[in-house]
Amino acid sequence: MTGERKISLRVNGRQHELEVEPRLSLADALRNELGYTGTHLGCEHGMCGACTVWLDGKSVRSCLMLAALADGAEVTTIEGLAPDGDSQHPLQAAFSKHHALQCGFCTPGMIMAAADLLQQNPHPSEEEVVDWMGGNICRCTGYRAIVRAVMDVAESGAAPPASDPEPEPSSVG
Amino acid sequence: MSEQAEMSEQGKVTWIGKPVPRREDRPLTAGAGRYMADIEMPGMLYMVVLRSPQAHAKIVSIDTDAARAMPGVHAVYTAADLPEELKPFPVIWRPPVLKDDSIAALASDRVRNVGEEVAVVVADTQQIAEDARELIRVKYERLPANVDPIKALEPDSPRIRDEWDDNVAALFPFRNGDVDAAFAEAAHVVDGHFKINRHAAMPMETRGVVASWDALTETLTFWSMSQAASLLRTELAKSLDLPDNAIRVMTPNVGGAFGAKWDRYAEDLLACVATRRLGRPVKWMEDRREHFQSTVHAREQIQDWEMALDEDGRILGVRGRAVADLGSCVPSSGIGTQWVTGNTIPNQYKFENYSADIIAVLTNKARAGSYRGFGGPESNFPMERLMDKAAKELGVDPAELRFRNQIQPEDMPYPTATGMAVYDTGDYPGALRRALEMVGYEKLREEQPKLREQGIYRGLGIGCYVHCTGFGPSAMLGMINYDTSGYEGARIRIDPGGKVTVYTGMIPLGQGTETSLAQIAADSFGIDMDDVRVVWGDTSQTPYTGFGSGGSRSNLAMTAVMNAAEQLKAKMIRIAAHTLEASPDDVEFADGHLSVRGVPDSGLTMPEVARIAYLAHSLPEGEEPMLQTQQVFDPPGFGWAYGCHVGVVDVDIQTGMMDWKRYVIVDDCGPMVNPLIVRGQIEGGVAQGIGGALLEEMVYDEAGQPMTSSFMDYLMPTFHDVPDYEIDHLVSPSPHIRGGFKGMGESGVMAPAAVVANAIVDALAPFGIEVDELPITPNVLWRKLRDAGAFEDGRSAASVG
Ligand code: FES
Ligand code: FES
Repeated sequence: MTGERKISLRVNGRQHELEVEPRLSLADALRNELGYTGTHLGCEHGMCGACTVWLDGKSVRSCLMLAALADGAEVTTIEGLAPDGDSQHPLQAAFSKHHALQCGFCTPGMIMAAADLLQQNPHPSEEEVVDWMGGNICRCTGYRAIVRAVMDVAESGAAPPASDPEPEPSSVG
Repeated sequence: MSEQAEMSEQGKVTWIGKPVPRREDRPLTAGAGRYMADIEMPGMLYMVVLRSPQAHAKIVSIDTDAARAMPGVHAVYTAADLPEELKPFPVIWRPPVLKDDSIAALASDRVRNVGEEVAVVVADTQQIAEDARELIRVKYERLPANVDPIKALEPDSPRIRDEWDDNVAALFPFRNGDVDAAFAEAAHVVDGHFKINRHAAMPMETRGVVASWDALTETLTFWSMSQAASLLRTELAKSLDLPDNAIRVMTPNVGGAFGAKWDRYAEDLLACVATRRLGRPVKWMEDRREHFQSTVHAREQIQDWEMALDEDGRILGVRGRAVADLGSCVPSSGIGTQWVTGNTIPNQYKFENYSADIIAVLTNKARAGSYRGFGGPESNFPMERLMDKAAKELGVDPAELRFRNQIQPEDMPYPTATGMAVYDTGDYPGALRRALEMVGYEKLREEQPKLREQGIYRGLGIGCYVHCTGFGPSAMLGMINYDTSGYEGARIRIDPGGKVTVYTGMIPLGQGTETSLAQIAADSFGIDMDDVRVVWGDTSQTPYTGFGSGGSRSNLAMTAVMNAAEQLKAKMIRIAAHTLEASPDDVEFADGHLSVRGVPDSGLTMPEVARIAYLAHSLPEGEEPMLQTQQVFDPPGFGWAYGCHVGVVDVDIQTGMMDWKRYVIVDDCGPMVNPLIVRGQIEGGVAQGIGGALLEEMVYDEAGQPMTSSFMDYLMPTFHDVPDYEIDHLVSPSPHIRGGFKGMGESGVMAPAAVVANAIVDALAPFGIEVDELPITPNVLWRKLRDAGAFEDGRSAASVG
């Protein structure tokens, strides 16, 4: 294929070098090239939030972003959200406790979006949660269980604060 | 019998009835679910579908040469390339009144809706396949399209099927009692013209398949998200001319289905043909735009109903007709959905005289099939609107009118006015009473006029509903010409180490199948849930189920698990008795222990008995080694769940926007196995109902072009659109099901449209506005308010009426 481009991505703390076509989305790069299939595609046009990952610590829709433009960035996916290897992020446990997932297809995106909110604003009001999460669609739960799960973590203050999970900062640019 | 009583015959109740968090959650929250898109195999090829851009056209020619010539392309198939013997999928529900139709793999000479499959390309990568698809040239000759189902009934409207006399696929008549006499003696008659909008299940995961043919063993492995895996296997076998046992249908994690994945689809056949011809695994994944065009839509009906009442407001009879728009082809479920609509019009009410014509018509839109509720929301909306219209006509409160007409607990079992349904158990007035109490109905009614004076238009809407669950007794399905069975099986194997594995034919779609069946099995043996594994999604291992997941049938699978556990316990008792030199009658099974009655520490554990059963060195005379069994449960009747929702809304009369104040739900699904899961099912169902009532509509222009092809123009409820759900339960066990469980997967979606419409009409009572068409958008309301003169002098509009 013509016009392949070399990029480097640091995903969940691991460095990856890959060659991508210019039209390849970050979502497809993560899923198909690197095997991070926890990032789901519900619409591929930026409207459902299922593909939400973190780019340099901020949540983005990976279906809208071209992989080539993420060159040099630090990406966190659902597989790398838990603070250390074998445990869960408090939101992952809270989603289960409050039955905030059914089919689980929207769930990685929901959790990535909510975790970003909590690192920016550890004690959001319910309204702030609803506003922040408003662009993530779930067809199964009717949403209130997700609000209950996020509020539970917000109120218990269990979410880890914003910080680079990696010892050395990524070398962007 | 309650589940508590039922289980206490067997042992201690530890898990059933508890809000146990789901075992499904750990992998799914970690991003470790394995969905269809995640399945990759060495040598895999990718299939894409070329779809019709025309709503109705003749295919003049198809030129695939350039596409075939593209490097990396393995095959391009059009209808002309398909093997002659490839048979289309049959319609499953075929009452004699339904004309013949089937689901073909590819359009041959004619396309009948935008999105219909015309050709497929199979290539090394998805990108190559997509690029090659661009090179296929199809010449169409446009034909006039039918978009409006009522116009499609006219004799001179464009014909969708040349071999039919008209566009009517079926007319199903319901007749019971003497409805004309009822109307002749009525003191009051109310009527309505109702439109139920075309919308769709719209799971977050689109459809997809992976098919892999092994030429050496002549077997086909088919990864499918079908809700009806066993049924699909049999149909594939017929279509492909293979024996059933050459096909293994595997189910990965499924990202929601809600009925849309129950239907059979062309891509199922096409992927199989491709893998068989090319000898390599073939994957097809639908994109969201395709999903909008070619996965089944649902619900669209135009209805006219009349209700006759005596002077006290007692219903004497109901008559009318419903015209359902099936789209371009009869779906797998035939006219099942529409039949359910006709069969549930009586809802919770006592009357005998009923007449309805259910007319299913073809148009040039996407096929309309199953969606959660399956015809129920389509009857609930008009009936509950008629109740409010009648209350207004009689000048009584809508709650009071319902109390006067509801079937009483002592009337059960109650044969309804359709002559085709018998409700089993329930306290309908009890549910309404409880809902009114929870919402504080009387106080809200008192406040209403005062609020109006302040310019706050607050309305209350009631929606009572029934939900036919545990679908259904096989003989009954046979009587209504449903060409499949209704039983559910369960296989249990206790391994040599004494741990339990349950095999189920249920397809998990998000409803917590693994967790609830593990709860049932654990309590059946009195063991820890962690000692139970649940296996699903592989037709080579799991029990056959003719119907599949849908129709709120978990309760049937649960009963099958209980019955299978019972068999194995009896066997373990016989083996333990033999070993302990006691009579089986004296051996007790409790908490996974077998002991001689009165000598609790004399006994054997399940692992010990399992070892004996597997070693088979010393078994009772004639006893078969190992511990495994399969039980099949065919219910003797339907379990009818029911309940009542009450919603409170404020409508801004300047903008037509509405705002939720309260949403109260009282549901009765019999005893609950897992209240956490039940709550989730109800909340999710209500949200879908609200979406259909306020937001969602599949819009087509006059030429049959879809105007809604993405989430940008098809609005689904989001975090902002749903109320806080306040939920309570009544418990009326079903006599037909062991444990008394009724299904609960579809209850939530039944009433929201009626609740929303009734609440809005109530809020806007001063303007005399009626809302009988869905969806109720702010635009629609604003126009109605304008026409009612609400804006004539600014905010003083409040004084109208
Ligand atoms: S897949 Fe990216 S927003 Fe829907
Ligand atoms: S859990 Fe199924 S879409 Fe959200």
